[in-house]
Amino acid sequence: MSMDQELVQRVQAGDKRAFDVLIMKYQQRIVHVITGFVHDPIEAQDVAQEAFIKAYRAIPNFRGDSAFYTWLYRIAINTSKNYLTARARRPPTSDVDAADATNTFDAPELKEFETPESNLMRSELEQTIHDAIGELQEDTAMAIKLREFEGMSYEEISESMDCPIGTVRSRIFRAREAIDQRIQQVMTEGEEQ
Amino acid sequence: MTTDDNQLLSALVDGELRGRELDKALALLSKDQSARECLQRYQISRDAFHGYGTKQQARATQKISAAILLEAKHKPVNVQAVGKTNVISLPVTFWQQSLSLAVAASIGALAVVGVMTQPKIQPVSITPMAALESTQGLDPAEITIAASKAGALPQNLGNRWTVEEQEIEDRLNIYLVDHNEYAGVSDIFSNARVIAYESGQ
Repeated sequence: MSMDQELVQRVQAGDKRAFDVLIMKYQQRIVHVITGFVHDPIEAQDVAQEAFIKAYRAIPNFRGDSAFYTWLYRIAINTSKNYLTARARRPPTSDVDAADATNTFDAPELKEFETPESNLMRSELEQTIHDAIGELQEDTAMAIKLREFEGMSYEEISESMDCPIGTVRSRIFRAREAIDQRIQQVMTEGEEQ
Repeated sequence: MTTDDNQLLSALVDGELRGRELDKALALLSKDQSARECLQRYQISRDAFHGYGTKQQARATQKISAAILLEAKHKPVNVQAVGKTNVISLPVTFWQQSLSLAVAASIGALAVVGVMTQPKIQPVSITPMAALESTQGLDPAEITIAASKAGALPQNLGNRWTVEEQEIEDRLNIYLVDHNEYAGVSDIFSNARVIAYESGQ
């Protein structure tokens, strides 16, 4: 059973903290998908909020036949379409594939709605992450690369690097701390500008 | 927060916690605001790897969480029951037979209701034969008119199946009284009656 499934079961049992974790985990992806429909980041935040509330209300009926994100994604798409219809705006004729929206940032249907500012920010973040990883010890850098770029689980990384899972967890944590400091710096500068 | 707590939250962001560790992380998040902020930062970093991260995320998450707080808490559900629901598929013939039975039952019920709501038959009044005796010597048509005037003949004769048993008995008794001879032997056949169809028999 995946962690998402465990979290969903906890929400179904009445634990709202578990849903908070799911919100944090998927919020940006959902906002990104919704932005592809409504084209306005502020409106997208509002629609995302509505989508999460709908998901929370519907979660007792979620059976786990599909991944939680796929289910949430469909809710977000439908909420976006309803939002546009209610404002007499025409929804797009085709949806972004859920797998594309989950795994990559490169779904062309979404990319066309990016602004020059968001592109600049993204490239700046990419450079920051690249620089931060370059400053890490080799084992630590390898662990975070396998995790974030290759999408490997801790178990797979431990097998690949021939070390205990605890060590993998520790290395990824150290890498994340270092990268986080650099990202926060960039984001703070971005806000000040 | 300890380094172990931070590692726990890092693993939570990666979706690598199960069971007790997940419980521990959720408990930490509920009691420690700095843990929430830490998780938020890790999530932003992770999203940044995939091109999603923005500083707005923290504020938006708080807004959504506040909205969720207003929602009613879900009651615990039976996860096993939610997981699979057994649906018994019945053959088409079963439904056809059930439908036929239902139609037949409906028709039967309508027939019963129809019979029960039929108008009641008016009681047949008994013509005292004495009243009719005064019509002796008249022809049958005149007798009928006389009886009708005396209220002796029923207004609605109905059919033979609707005459009540009591009426039949009354009419028979009157007939017998007018045409019988009682047995003269008392104490032996005190209740016996001998029917005489013709006077003198």
